[in-house]
Amino acid sequence: MLSHFLLMVLYALLVSLFFSLLWRRGRREQIKLFLQIFLGMVGGGLLVAWLMYPFPSGPPAPIP
Amino acid sequence: MTESGSTSVPSPVVRSQGNAAVAVLSAWLVPGLGHIYLKRRLRGLAFFVLVIVSMLVGCSLEGNLYRVVPGQPLTILATLGSMGMGFPYFLLRYALHYQGNIMGAGYEYGTAFLLTAGLMNLLLVLDAWDIVRGKKE
Repeated sequence: MLSHFLLMVLYALLVSLFFSLLWRRGRREQIKLFLQIFLGMVGGGLLVAWLMYPFPSGPPAPIP
Repeated sequence: MTESGSTSVPSPVVRSQGNAAVAVLSAWLVPGLGHIYLKRRLRGLAFFVLVIVSMLVGCSLEGNLYRVVPGQPLTILATLGSMGMGFPYFLLRYALHYQGNIMGAGYEYGTAFLLTAGLMNLLLVLDAWDIVRGKKE
């Protein structure tokens, strides 16, 4: 459950389902918007992760 | 401008489908209940499931259920956002005495899920408001 990728996919799934139901009425339009948001979030996340890959992660953040 | 005026522009409001106060209050209190009240039963049920699942995932990850912290003004906004989930927020906070675990591995993720649950429900309140005013189907 603590896999970063799985949590990101779950989050994208919930959010894209929510907005496709909220903003669209027809089934086709809902599926289209769902795919746009879901793939945008997951793909965007992977893209940002890939862009950050060369940079050093640095020391862990201090716990307040 | 009157509705019966011959030169007036027709109002975008189609018709009122219920009591606005009841729709908005029920939409805030229980996720999806506003839509169910407005006869959008299936959609209301789907919204209920989505918000509750988001909240449960956030709790299982031991995320932070925001409360106002003195000296940290941004926590006011975060608390208002979290309180957007309505009754579940108060159930978690005061009945179940839920507290996130900052040492938990999923703390940050859980916080995002909990905050998202509240923000999603706030959007549902606005959606119920639009429906009851006739601006949306």
